[in-house]
Amino acid sequence: MKRIRNFSIIAHIDHGKSTLADRLIERCGALTEREMAEQVLDSMDLERERGITIKAQSVALRYTARDGETYQLNIIDTPGHVDFSYEVSRSLAACEGALLVVDASQGVEAQSVANCYTAVDQGLEVIPVLNKIDLPSADPDRVNQQIEEIIGLDTDDVLMISAKTGQGIEDLLEALVRRIPAPSGDPEAPLKALIMDSWFDNYLGVVCLVRIVDGRLKKGDKIQVWSTKREFQVDQLGIFNPKKTPLDALETGEVGFVVAGIKDIDGAPVGDTLTHPARPCAERVPGFKVVQPRVFAGMFPVSSDDYESFRDALGKLRLNDASLQYEPENSQALGFGFRCGFLGMLHMEIVQERLEREYNLDLITTAPTVVYEVLTTAGETLSISNPASLPPLHKIESIREPIIQANILVPQEYVGNVIALCEEKRGEQKDMQFVGNQISLVYELPMSEVVLDFFDRLKSASRGFASFDYEFKRFQDANLVRLDVLINGDKVDALAVIIHREDAQRRGRDLTERLKEIIPRQMFEVAIQAAIGNQIVARSTVKALRKNVTAKCYGGDISRKRKLLEKQKAGKKRMKQVGRVEIPQEAFLSVLQVDNKNN
Amino acid sequence: MHAPPLSLYVHIPWCVRKCPYCDFNSHAAPARLPVADYLAALRADLAGELASAPGRQIQTVFIGGGTPSLFPPQAIAQLLEDLRPHLPTAAEITLEANPGTVEQARFADFRQAGVNRLSIGVQSFNPQMLRRLGRIHGRDEAVRAAEAAVAAGFSNFNLDLMFALPEQTLAQMLDDLRYAVALDPPHLSHYQLTLEPNTVFYSKPPALPDDDSAWAMQQAAGEVLAGHGYSHYEVSAWARQGRECRHNRNYWLFGDYLAIGAGAHGKLTNPVDGSVRRYRKAKVPALYMGQVRAGTPNVEERRLHRDDLVLEFMMNALRLSDGFTIPMFEQRTGLPFKAAEPGLGTALEHGWVEQHGERIRTTAQGRCFLNAVLELFLPEG
Repeated sequence: MKRIRNFSIIAHIDHGKSTLADRLIERCGALTEREMAEQVLDSMDLERERGITIKAQSVALRYTARDGETYQLNIIDTPGHVDFSYEVSRSLAACEGALLVVDASQGVEAQSVANCYTAVDQGLEVIPVLNKIDLPSADPDRVNQQIEEIIGLDTDDVLMISAKTGQGIEDLLEALVRRIPAPSGDPEAPLKALIMDSWFDNYLGVVCLVRIVDGRLKKGDKIQVWSTKREFQVDQLGIFNPKKTPLDALETGEVGFVVAGIKDIDGAPVGDTLTHPARPCAERVPGFKVVQPRVFAGMFPVSSDDYESFRDALGKLRLNDASLQYEPENSQALGFGFRCGFLGMLHMEIVQERLEREYNLDLITTAPTVVYEVLTTAGETLSISNPASLPPLHKIESIREPIIQANILVPQEYVGNVIALCEEKRGEQKDMQFVGNQISLVYELPMSEVVLDFFDRLKSASRGFASFDYEFKRFQDANLVRLDVLINGDKVDALAVIIHREDAQRRGRDLTERLKEIIPRQMFEVAIQAAIGNQIVARSTVKALRKNVTAKCYGGDISRKRKLLEKQKAGKKRMKQVGRVEIPQEAFLSVLQVDNKNN
Repeated sequence: MHAPPLSLYVHIPWCVRKCPYCDFNSHAAPARLPVADYLAALRADLAGELASAPGRQIQTVFIGGGTPSLFPPQAIAQLLEDLRPHLPTAAEITLEANPGTVEQARFADFRQAGVNRLSIGVQSFNPQMLRRLGRIHGRDEAVRAAEAAVAAGFSNFNLDLMFALPEQTLAQMLDDLRYAVALDPPHLSHYQLTLEPNTVFYSKPPALPDDDSAWAMQQAAGEVLAGHGYSHYEVSAWARQGRECRHNRNYWLFGDYLAIGAGAHGKLTNPVDGSVRRYRKAKVPALYMGQVRAGTPNVEERRLHRDDLVLEFMMNALRLSDGFTIPMFEQRTGLPFKAAEPGLGTALEHGWVEQHGERIRTTAQGRCFLNAVLELFLPEG
């Protein structure tokens, strides 16, 4: 146990975390070169493509230090995107230390700052590391100053490395061993293990990633899940190095996997504690707070025949993603589907992409919405995650919207753009400080303004240099209304949005105009209206199609005309029918794009 | 089994130059057309085709292209000579012609050869439009061509006109019609220009009138033509009483047709078991001639399934303003009428199709939205 080091790597996207992990794995000889796929830790295809880490993972390495001892180094990977900050604290809970990896030319970014604070709060030893020092643009002095000013870490012993070339890796390994404390559990105490993560494997059932806090867990042990009191028998346990390697036991301080015939992911909730039922520990590991989805959207199969397979797919995804929530939703326009809750926009995109790619589903996703608190005239407080379920106007006393605090780091030359963006998004400035040549901005913003496109807008306003992190602050009264869209008099539930009253007119106009462009001409005129309650705030019309007939058709070659008909029919299949009107899928996303049009 | 009426299509694939809107199988003519070789291939091909429909008379012949009028009248005469034993005296024999001067000089010879109907590709009388369409004739040639046809003894002829041409106005379209009806053609084809894949216009689309303007043109054209005594018997075809194109009507009523020439498509019912097959010839002239020489003129053949028969019958028959009769459907497809009922029922419900006794035809709305009607007959899957 004295020779175990559990640590995370905290880094902004692109600052080289995965490359560093690869170098460490390579240096410790865990894989032959043939096995050494680039960026081993990011195993999901999507993670690799997007260059981010979604799920926490761990790798155990053996390193023989200069003192002649062989140490077990457990790298616990942490996600690097704001949507997944919850998973970061989960990963850090299993560590005694963390490497803060900062790009020596880019400098400190807000996401790293947030994760670093979490690490410090959890009592971890944080070692600052400057990466990419081989680049000509590297500016260690400036970046060190940032680390000291923004994060408050001493940079006297900062490590200078290049994960790409391997420069400084030896010193880094030594520092890991020397500076990060060994785990401090009691091997003789009753078993107490933290479930850091769990996922579903088609062959094994639920696989748990655990950190042994006290005691020892052996193969064949009977274990008990603290919160549910459910008991299971350990079939398999071991470590990832990074290949899955079975062992006979996991010792105090170690991180490894456990397979115990658990059939569903709720049988082993992340953050829960495992113990021996025969000799249970006195108290559980302080877990994590249950994560609340912040962004909701309706997802509907394009073809109603796919509903069953969609439900199965969501079930399977949730096996590996406890933060994904869903419940059945029945939309008049889109039929049967699910209202899904996500951690943020990226999470939503990833889920959608996985459903489409891995489960071969064709889905329509409605515009995402945040959760509103509605106080009714009857004195009830409702939590509304679907504009369609907002009570009628006369039953609403007030609506409260979620407010977040955004922490933004931006180089001075772009601060004007960023402030303008925050003001446009109805932000309220709370703090502004100069740190080196960066400026740290703190804004309170309505979350609804942030979930849609804030991140992209921030990046373009700062040429990619601004970084941001946010946390939920409170619900706050706001003058909100639901903007309904009516097509030939039929309210289209899936197009409704909750917005600020002062924006209603403009958004209504944009939306009706946009829909007019998207909805093809039909055999009759189509009226598109935007309304608040019974009041029409905007209107547009799609004129009737005059004809749809092929001018020329000789008996000769009929096959091409036939293909045209087939294409026409296939096109209609992808449309959704509202009343008699056929609406293309893009229409349901047009709600999203209203803002972009005004950029 | 009773086989439907039989026609013959002959394809002559060369044009002086390829028009930018044309998606037919046409090739720019070489300096010297391989007349003798092509004629030999057509004759050999014809012999084979005739053998596949033993004992059946050929009611109509259509020599299309390309520009068949580029071909020497003697060659056409030779071909018709081969056909003579299979042609009833009243056979309709149409040849497509361009309004060029050279062709006009041949009209009398074509008539002499046995051709009794000309289809003249005027397209427009407006010099600017003709240029935009890449046509090589002018207004005067177009007018003279129609006069030359009459002078050559063609009492039966068609003028092809197109509308909704690049940047065309309603007034320009009406002008074209005025010129056309002044020539008193027994038949007029009035097509809306559409951009077809694999054409110059498709890859570089010209500025066409929008849907509403095209619709206004169609409406106005309908009034003018009806006012001059033409009846609108098919989506784009207008004719004086009794002057409907019998050859095209046979296509539209799902009749049979033999096919000779590069890229020609044929359809033939087997009178024994009632099965219907479609086939085609190689598109490239040299390839076609080679295939015929090798004794394998057909490059693609398929037998129609039950679902295909219903759809393809409707794709044709519903184009006719008169539609079709129930016995006609049963005779031409060999299927009981109930095979058409799923699609037809829905079309009737929507008011796109109407039934009077045994006759079934599209309503005014159904004619405008024929593609939506036909979609109802597409097999699932």
